[in-house]
Amino acid sequence: MSKIIMSNRLIKAFGKEEEKRNVLNDVSVSIEEGEFVSVMGPSGSGKSTLMFCLSGMDTVDSGSIQFDGEDLTKQEEQKLSDIRRTKMGFVFQQPTLLKNLNIFDNIILPSIHENKKNKAVIIERAKLLMKQTGIEALTKRNIKQASGGQLQRAGICRALMGNPKIIFGDEPTGSLDSKSAQEIMKLFSKISKDGTTILLVTHDAKVAAQTERVLFMSDGKIVNEMHLMKYNGANLEERVSKITEQMKMIGM
Amino acid sequence: MYYRIIRNDFMKNKLITGTIMVFISISAMLVSLAAILIVNLSGSIDTLMTKAKTPHFMQMHTGEINEERLLEFVLQNSKVDEFQVAEFLNLENSRIFINENSLSHSVQDNGVAVQNKTFDYLLDLEGNVITVSPGEIYVPVSYKKDGTAKLGDSVLIYGHKFLVAGFLRDSQMNSLLASSKRFLIHEADYSQLEDVGSKEYLIEYRLKDKKDINVFEAEYTKANLEKNGPTLTYPLFQMLNAISDGIMIGVLLLVCILVVAISFMCIRFTLLAKIEEDYKEIGVLKAIGLRVTDIKKIYLAKYAVITAVSCILGIILSTVFRGKLLWNIRLTLGESAYSSYAFCFGIMGVILVFFTMIAYVNKVLKRFKKISPAQAIRFGMNQEKSIESRGFTLSNNVLLPTNVFLGLKDVFVRKKLYITMLLVFVIASFIMIVPQNLYHTIAKESFGTYMGIGQSDLRIGIMQTKGNMRERAEEIAQILSKDEYVSAYTILTTKTFQIQKLDGSIENMKIELGDHTTFPLKYAKGRAPINEDEIALSKLNADELKKVVGDTIILLSEGTKRELKVCGIYSDITNGGKTAKATFTDDSADIMWCSIDVLLSDATMIAKRVVEYKECFPYAKVSDIKEFMLQTFGPTIRSIHMVSVVSLSIALLISLFITLLFIKMLMAKDQYAIAVMKSFGFTIYDVTIQYITRSFFLLFMGVTIGVLMANTFGETLAGMILSALGASTFRFEVNVVSSYLISPLMMVCCVLIATLLATSCMGEIKISDNIKE
Repeated sequence: MSKIIMSNRLIKAFGKEEEKRNVLNDVSVSIEEGEFVSVMGPSGSGKSTLMFCLSGMDTVDSGSIQFDGEDLTKQEEQKLSDIRRTKMGFVFQQPTLLKNLNIFDNIILPSIHENKKNKAVIIERAKLLMKQTGIEALTKRNIKQASGGQLQRAGICRALMGNPKIIFGDEPTGSLDSKSAQEIMKLFSKISKDGTTILLVTHDAKVAAQTERVLFMSDGKIVNEMHLMKYNGANLEERVSKITEQMKMIGM
Repeated sequence: MYYRIIRNDFMKNKLITGTIMVFISISAMLVSLAAILIVNLSGSIDTLMTKAKTPHFMQMHTGEINEERLLEFVLQNSKVDEFQVAEFLNLENSRIFINENSLSHSVQDNGVAVQNKTFDYLLDLEGNVITVSPGEIYVPVSYKKDGTAKLGDSVLIYGHKFLVAGFLRDSQMNSLLASSKRFLIHEADYSQLEDVGSKEYLIEYRLKDKKDINVFEAEYTKANLEKNGPTLTYPLFQMLNAISDGIMIGVLLLVCILVVAISFMCIRFTLLAKIEEDYKEIGVLKAIGLRVTDIKKIYLAKYAVITAVSCILGIILSTVFRGKLLWNIRLTLGESAYSSYAFCFGIMGVILVFFTMIAYVNKVLKRFKKISPAQAIRFGMNQEKSIESRGFTLSNNVLLPTNVFLGLKDVFVRKKLYITMLLVFVIASFIMIVPQNLYHTIAKESFGTYMGIGQSDLRIGIMQTKGNMRERAEEIAQILSKDEYVSAYTILTTKTFQIQKLDGSIENMKIELGDHTTFPLKYAKGRAPINEDEIALSKLNADELKKVVGDTIILLSEGTKRELKVCGIYSDITNGGKTAKATFTDDSADIMWCSIDVLLSDATMIAKRVVEYKECFPYAKVSDIKEFMLQTFGPTIRSIHMVSVVSLSIALLISLFITLLFIKMLMAKDQYAIAVMKSFGFTIYDVTIQYITRSFFLLFMGVTIGVLMANTFGETLAGMILSALGASTFRFEVNVVSSYLISPLMMVCCVLIATLLATSCMGEIKISDNIKE
C-alpha cells in the first residue's frame, strides 16, 4: 500500500521568545492508504496540534508534510482550502455545525459549494449517508433539536460527503456518553472497512483500541507505537489492556 | 489591573474603540456647542433688550391717532412706567438705493425712524445708544451681515443722500422674521422725508412690572384705543430674536440625538459581541463566586475611560468651533453677559453625555445576570439563541450561489443584529437624498412657476427711479415687436393698491397688472385672470386674507371701491410671498416697477439678445430668466447645494464607518463559524463574498426604504418649509441619475471598501485557535 500522508521532522513552537516551547518536537510520521490510526497521549502532549498540522489547518515552523503527492507546507492558503474541501474530512470533539443551517444543509454545504456534482446527486448521497449513520429522521431538524451523538453523526456525514481520502478526528467521542461514543466508533470502523483512511486523536484507550495502529505522544514527540489487528468487534477488553500496559511502560 | 485590561483591550480592538470614540466625541462636542449657544443666545438677548429698553407692550397703528386719549389712558393706568408714540416711516423699497443698488428685491418693509428719547433705543454694535448727525444714516445690522452695506457707503432715499455712519441693532426688528427694518436718521432729515412715505405709529409702553403684560393688554383692548396694526409684547420680541439661532441650536441637538443613537447602537453591538466572546470566562468568574457587580466593573471601567477621553476631546473640539457658531449671535445680538458661564454649561452638557453613556453600558451589562455558569462552562456559548429560518434552505436553493445564500441566510436568521446597520443605511440614504432633491427642485428652471413668473426666456425690468416707466415700456415694446426672433412678449406693471380686509381694516397689496395668459403660471387652484374684474392671489395672500377661488376682494382706488373676484391661487415665494395678478387698467396709482417677459423663437439667441438689449435699453435691467432665477435664488440655491454636498458626505462617511465597525465586530463574533467553514475548505474569498452579500443586501434594503421615505416624508418636510415661504403643491423634481444612480453607487462603493477593509484580516482567523479543544 502507498503512503497517503508522510511528515518529516516537524517542529512547531508556541509562545514568545523566552517562553517559547516546542509543541511538536521533530515528529516524523507516515500513514498508509486505508489505515485506521489513532494518536494517544496526555493533555498538552501535542496530539491535536499534530493533527491540525498534518491536515494543513495549522502551519509548522520546520519540516515537511507530504499528502497525496504534494508538500502541504509549501502550499498557498487557497490551495490548502481546495485540498481540505476535496480530499479531507474532519470530525471534531464538538459538533462543528453552523447554527444558521439545519442539519441537512450543514451536511451538504461543502459539497454544494464544491458544485462539481449536480445537486440531485448530492442530496441523494446525503440522504444515503444519513440513513447509514442512523439519523435519517433529522433531515428537516435544526441543530437545537438533536442530541450530541446525533450531531456528531451529522458531522461524520458531512466529512464523508466529498468521498475524502482521509478523515481526521480530533477527540470525536470526547463529548459523548459511552453508548453514543461506542456507536460513533462502530461507524468509524465501518468507514475504515470501506477503505477510507482515518486518523483519530484521543486520550481514551477504549477508542484507540478499536484502531489498527496507536501512536503514543508525549512532550511533542512520538515516543512509541503499537500495531493491532483490524478490529472486528471482539476482544475489546484485551486490546484496551494491551494499550494501558504499553502506556504504563512508557510512563504515561 | 484595570489599566492592563483596558490597554490590552484597546490594542486588540483599535478600530472599534476608535470609531466609538469618534461618535462619542462628536456627541459631546454637539451637546457642548448647543449648551454654549443657548447660554450665549439668552445672555445676548437679555443684554440687548435691557440696554435698548425694549417696550413691554407695543401697538402698531396706521391712520389717524389721538395722542391725548392715549395719554389719558396712561394717566389712569397704574401699571405704566413709561409711554411714548414713536414713528416709523415706511418707504418704497424700489426708492431706497444702497450704493446704487435698490432694495426692490428685499422682502423686508424698509423705512426710517429717529432715535427715541426715553426707551426703545436703537443701539450701535458696541451696545451704546446711537446719536446720529444730519446726513448720516445707521443701517440695520442684517444688511451688514448679507454684505448689502458697509461703513462709508452712500444711501439714496427718494433722492436724499446719506452716508452710512454705522450699523444698528434693533431689539424689536433685528430678526429677519420681523418683516420691518428701521434705518436711523436725524430728525431734520426725517422731517424732509415725512411726505414721501407712509407713516406707521408705534404706541409703546414700559410697565412697572413685566408680569402684568397680559393684564395690561386686556385693559388696552378694553379701552378701545388705536388698534389698526399688530400688537406685540416683550416675550414675542424675545422669541423673534431667538428664533433663527434657536433653529440652529435645534438642528445641532437633532444631529446630536442622531449621533448619540448611533453611539448607543455601536456600544450595544460591541458589548454584545464581547459578552459572547467572553461567555465562558464570565461563566467561570461567576462559578468561582465573583459577584455580578464586580464582573461588570471590569467592562464598565473600559467604557468609562473611553467615554471620558472622548468627552474631553469633544470639549476641545467645541472650543475650536464655537467661535464660528457664535459669530452670528455676536453680530446680530451683541456680546452676552453670561459668556463666562457658557463654558461651564458646555461642560455640564458633556458630563450629562458621559453619565448617559455609562448608564447605557450599565444597562446592556445587566445581561450578565442571565448567564448561567453551568451552561457557559459546558457549552461556552448561549444556548437559548433562536436559530434557523425555515423554508429558506440550501437544499431548496436553486438560483443563488452558495456564498450569497449563506450571506442572506445569516441576515434573515439574525435579524435583530442587523437592524442597527439597516437603520443606519435608511438614515444615511434619507439625509443623502432629501437635500439633493430639494436642490434639484429649486435649481430647475420650472421652479420659476413657484416664483410667480411664467416660463419665458428674457425679463426686462424697469425701476421707478429711472424716468417715466410707461413711456420706457412702450419704447421697448416697439423695438420688440420689430425683432424677428421675438415670438411673444408681455408688459406687466406692478402697483400698490389698498384693499379692505374682512375686519374693515385697510392693507397694501402689490398687484401685477397686464396680460397673464401669454406666459401662464401653474395655478394651484383656479386659473389666470382674464376679465377685468378678476384677480389671482399668491398662496400666502390668499391664506392671510382667508380667500378661496370664487370669493371677492374689495380694492380701494381713488376713493372708489372696486370688487374683484378671486379666479386663481398660485405659488409665489418672491416679495415675501404676498403678490397678486390682475388684468384691469389703472392710471391712478404710481407704477412701482415694470417688467417685460419675452419669449424668443430661437433659444440660442438668448445670450446675444441680452447683450444687445442691455446696450439698447441702458435704463432697464435685462436678464435671461435663468440668470434672474440665479440672482434671486442664488444664495438659497448655493446654500442648499452646500447642505446637499455636506449631507452626502456625512451620509457616505457614516455608511463607511458603520459598515467597517459592524463587519469588524461581526467577524469577531463569527470567528468560530468562519474557522469551521475554513476547516472544510471555504476560502477567504468565499467568506468575504458572504460578508459583502450581507452588507449589500442591507444597503439595498436601506436605500430602498430611505428613498421611499425621502419621496414621501422627506417631500412633505421640504414642502412644509417651502409652503411657509409661499409655495404650495410642492413636488420634488428628481434628478434620477444623480439621486438614484450616482449617489447610491457612491454608497455602494463606500460600503464595498469598508467591507473589504474589515474582512482584510480574515486570514488571521486560525482554524486551530478556534476549533482545537
